[in-house]
Amino acid sequence: MKYDYTIKYRSENHYETPVFEAYWQFLVTPENNSTQKLITEKFTTSVNARIEESVNGLGFTTSRIHCKKPFKDIVFEAEFKLTKREVNPFDFTLPLDNSLDYELLSSLPFRVEFEAYLKNTALTILPKISEDLFKFEQSKSVFENCIALNTFIHNFITFKTGVTNTNTTLPTILENKEGVCQDYTHLMCAVARVNQVPARYVSGYLHQGDGFLGDMQMHAWTELYIPEIGWVGFDSTNNLVANHNHIKVAHGKDYNDCPPLKGIVYSSGNNFTKYTVEVNHQQ
Amino acid sequence: MIKNTANPIFSSYEKKDALYDEIFDENDEVRDVYKKLFELYSGLSSNDFGTLNEKAKATFFNQGITFQVYSDAKAQEKIFPFDLFPRIIDATEWETIEKGVLQRSKALNLFLHDVYHDKKIIKEGIVPLDLISSSSNYLQSMMGIDPPGGIYNHISGTDLIKHSDGHYYVLEDNIRCPSGVSYVMCNRNALKKALFGVFNHYDIHTVTDYAENLLEILESVKPNGVDIPTVVVITPGIYNSAYYEHSYLAKTIGIELVEGRDLFVENDFVYMKTISGPKRVDVIYRRIDDTFLDPLEFRSDSAIGVPGLFAAYKKGNVTIVNAPGTGVADDKAIYTYMPDIIKYYLDEEPILKNVHTYHCSREDDLKYVLENIDKLVIKPVDEAGGYGISIGNKLTKEEIKQVQEVIKKEPRKYIAQPIMSLSVHATFIEDENSFEQRHVDLRTFTLLGNQKDFVLKGGLTRVALKKGNLIVNSSQGGGSKDTWILKNK
Amino acid sequence: MLARVANNLYWMGRYIERAEHTARFLKVNYFSSLDAPNKLSQSRQFVLQSIYQMVGETMFINDTLEEETVLFNVGLNSEKTYSILNSVKNARENANSSRDLISTEFYESINKFYHHVMNYPSDVLVKSGLYDFTSTITEHTAILRGKIRGTLLHDEIYALIMLGINIERATQIIRIIKTKFDDAHKAIGGYANPVKNSYEWTTLLKCAESYDMMRRLYKKSPTQLSTLEFLILNPSCPRSVMNSLNQIYTNICTIDNAKIFDKDSPAFLIGKMRAEYEFKTIEEIQINVQNFIEKTSQLLFSIGFKLENEYFYV
Repeated sequence: MKYDYTIKYRSENHYETPVFEAYWQFLVTPENNSTQKLITEKFTTSVNARIEESVNGLGFTTSRIHCKKPFKDIVFEAEFKLTKREVNPFDFTLPLDNSLDYELLSSLPFRVEFEAYLKNTALTILPKISEDLFKFEQSKSVFENCIALNTFIHNFITFKTGVTNTNTTLPTILENKEGVCQDYTHLMCAVARVNQVPARYVSGYLHQGDGFLGDMQMHAWTELYIPEIGWVGFDSTNNLVANHNHIKVAHGKDYNDCPPLKGIVYSSGNNFTKYTVEVNHQQ
Repeated sequence: MIKNTANPIFSSYEKKDALYDEIFDENDEVRDVYKKLFELYSGLSSNDFGTLNEKAKATFFNQGITFQVYSDAKAQEKIFPFDLFPRIIDATEWETIEKGVLQRSKALNLFLHDVYHDKKIIKEGIVPLDLISSSSNYLQSMMGIDPPGGIYNHISGTDLIKHSDGHYYVLEDNIRCPSGVSYVMCNRNALKKALFGVFNHYDIHTVTDYAENLLEILESVKPNGVDIPTVVVITPGIYNSAYYEHSYLAKTIGIELVEGRDLFVENDFVYMKTISGPKRVDVIYRRIDDTFLDPLEFRSDSAIGVPGLFAAYKKGNVTIVNAPGTGVADDKAIYTYMPDIIKYYLDEEPILKNVHTYHCSREDDLKYVLENIDKLVIKPVDEAGGYGISIGNKLTKEEIKQVQEVIKKEPRKYIAQPIMSLSVHATFIEDENSFEQRHVDLRTFTLLGNQKDFVLKGGLTRVALKKGNLIVNSSQGGGSKDTWILKNK
Repeated sequence: MLARVANNLYWMGRYIERAEHTARFLKVNYFSSLDAPNKLSQSRQFVLQSIYQMVGETMFINDTLEEETVLFNVGLNSEKTYSILNSVKNARENANSSRDLISTEFYESINKFYHHVMNYPSDVLVKSGLYDFTSTITEHTAILRGKIRGTLLHDEIYALIMLGINIERATQIIRIIKTKFDDAHKAIGGYANPVKNSYEWTTLLKCAESYDMMRRLYKKSPTQLSTLEFLILNPSCPRSVMNSLNQIYTNICTIDNAKIFDKDSPAFLIGKMRAEYEFKTIEEIQINVQNFIEKTSQLLFSIGFKLENEYFYV
């Protein structure tokens, strides 16, 4: 079964003092992969500047605006149409011998291959005392452990907006046990990596039709590498394995690898940012 | 005191036997290569030398061959002190050095290609995974990129010393933005001006061919599809401590010296802003650090970079020299694996020796280091410019304790090496108005290009001017000497 | 050439020239006032005010100026943007950021100049060194001009420096004329009568190092008419506005020959101004001198403005 989606991303910036030159780089275009296919994309901006497509260091499509004329307000809008395939996350057979998988996870070539998603970053480093927060049970398969971890993280953090930001590190989250999708994802990544499972932070859109948690912004979830299966998405905010409602844009080691907007602005004074996301599903 | 004191300027030369003296052998005789020079200098009084020294200093100052020192609250403009007694290296000795540094550069280049592709050397357990995964200089964005000609470290600066055993040892490989080559050329010029007569008696290699070779190397790694590439040097600006060198290189190569704000990226091509409009740039010899190159890809607070540069690079529309991410291989911890790296990629024995290194990240080594600090030099793994180095036998008990604490906190950050005794060279000391022994090292410059390589026949001999001091960096009170490579007879 | 570097070369030229004019004005005014023929011209306050007016310092009518403060501010005060020290500092900084394009010899000279000024003791300047200080400034700038002419390829690099020098020269000459014109009127008490003969005309010519040249040409004591004619319209006088305009035109053509006929280009504006001044007569100027001075400095300003937008901020 196929799902057709229309996604609207809109960002507004207001600057107190005029901006003389600025670059914005948006990382909001859904990627093409085995479960999703981008059909059309449309960008508009309120300032008189061209919108260029490019590819960032980790290989994801960006849209860039370079504005050389002074302005105080800028609006950027993107509209994407894509189809998403029905995903059955359980479409595989569990391994007969779990120990082979754990052996693989701890083998040097494997750890070298997935080095980037096994190392800790400033946003995903667990304090020493919390390293045993969740231990994988070797008697169960890696996948089963990941499902359990997903549920664990879901129950560990209470969804609450406005208490954390994109710079919040794990000690704060572990202490307050509150946060939003990126906090769930950072903690999930950290715990998975401690258990030797490669984990990557995914930034994307969530179709909220079914009453999932999230807000009118971009969503985040985790992809874990499971031997013999590959990368599987886990949305611990909603205690789900990622499915057709999850539209992926980019992945990285943590939030810093995939913020939706990077801006270099030559101006002084404050600025106010507002952005909204709308995901619509056509039957 | 040496025997040969007929020469007044050597009358107070105190020769310590434990050290390797570049000029006098163990019997206090002048070594062969220096005989003629020594004879010529004997005709000069210490006052003559004083005057020549002042004049040479004035030349450097007037030409603005200066650098800024940061350690004080206020940046100061200082000249890099220049010594009038050149260092001479004979042809056979040089041959080994040249082969050795080229071997290292090539091995490091293959290592860089490997760590940004299959990482075979790590998968096979020869170099520990930790060295790349915990290195802040390892750039994930470089994975899978194939720079033109397969070259990463186009320009390498290798630091060598001569130990008391008479052998050269490599101290470190600098493959981010090695500096100092402009001083090699300026020192030669200054010595020619001051003592042109002595050049008639020696047949030495020129150093002026560096510029043309560098240009050839830079042009050889042009992006695909470009006929005659536009090459530029990018500098952080006039307040950078090495600005003189950046402008000197641009001038002698004959290419544009740009700052980040002079460049912009459009459709993944790089352009410079000229008075007649935008002009495409194909090769960038960068003298700014990786993380400052592109605020959209790396540090967003970089005001000296070019937004979008990395995407242009990734697409192959511009070449960055040295490639981003080379820093992972000049990490001091990687240095200690150099013999293995050379064997692994080149199937050769290392030509130049490595100093034995203790890794504080290894438990056994850490234990040894903590117990033997007084016999070791402790270095942070990723600091350049001689900052943060402790020399064990110069520390008080109190200081040793402090160092121990610092290492224990972050063992991964430190390595230790036995205290090498750098060779000494006669150096004119202003305050004494005569020559004294001072420790020296040697920085060589190696270029790698597409189907081409070059080692500068010369180098920067750096002198630790403070008596007994082993640190030769300019920011720590070091000076330099002209370095002569003799031609084969 | 890089737009930023072009801008630096242009401003280097301007600052070198500015340092020289400021120094000469300071010197001539101060020393000629010592034995001036009338009381006001001799008055210390009158001279100090004239110096401040020239550099653009804000003053209030009843301010009593301290001689040492004025000399220090104009000569060596690093906090005054108009000080000679700052002009030299800026010139050297501009040279630094374009030093890969200029000759080693020229750079060496500007660097020496910089160190000389930076190390000049301010107490010596204000007590006894005024003549020495200002003379060495003019000497150093002459050396720099020589090095510019003799050690640089006469291409766009040279043209940009010369463009800066000549625009600054014309601007400074106009400023000096304005200051001395005001002084002359003050000296006779009011603007009502045209000031035919005034000691200030001699001072004005000396400020532009043009007194001897002018005497040679006119063989009479300078009057308002002859002085203005000489300093504004005579193309043979190396410091006249006309001479500067001719050079500015040549320089802009070297940099950009294509745009001369584009109405909005700086080259067009320069050509137009030059053509107009070439056939101007002193009698026309005489109708309203003040107005003419204002208009000239405005034109020069707008040329500078256009240049920067056209070439330097792309």
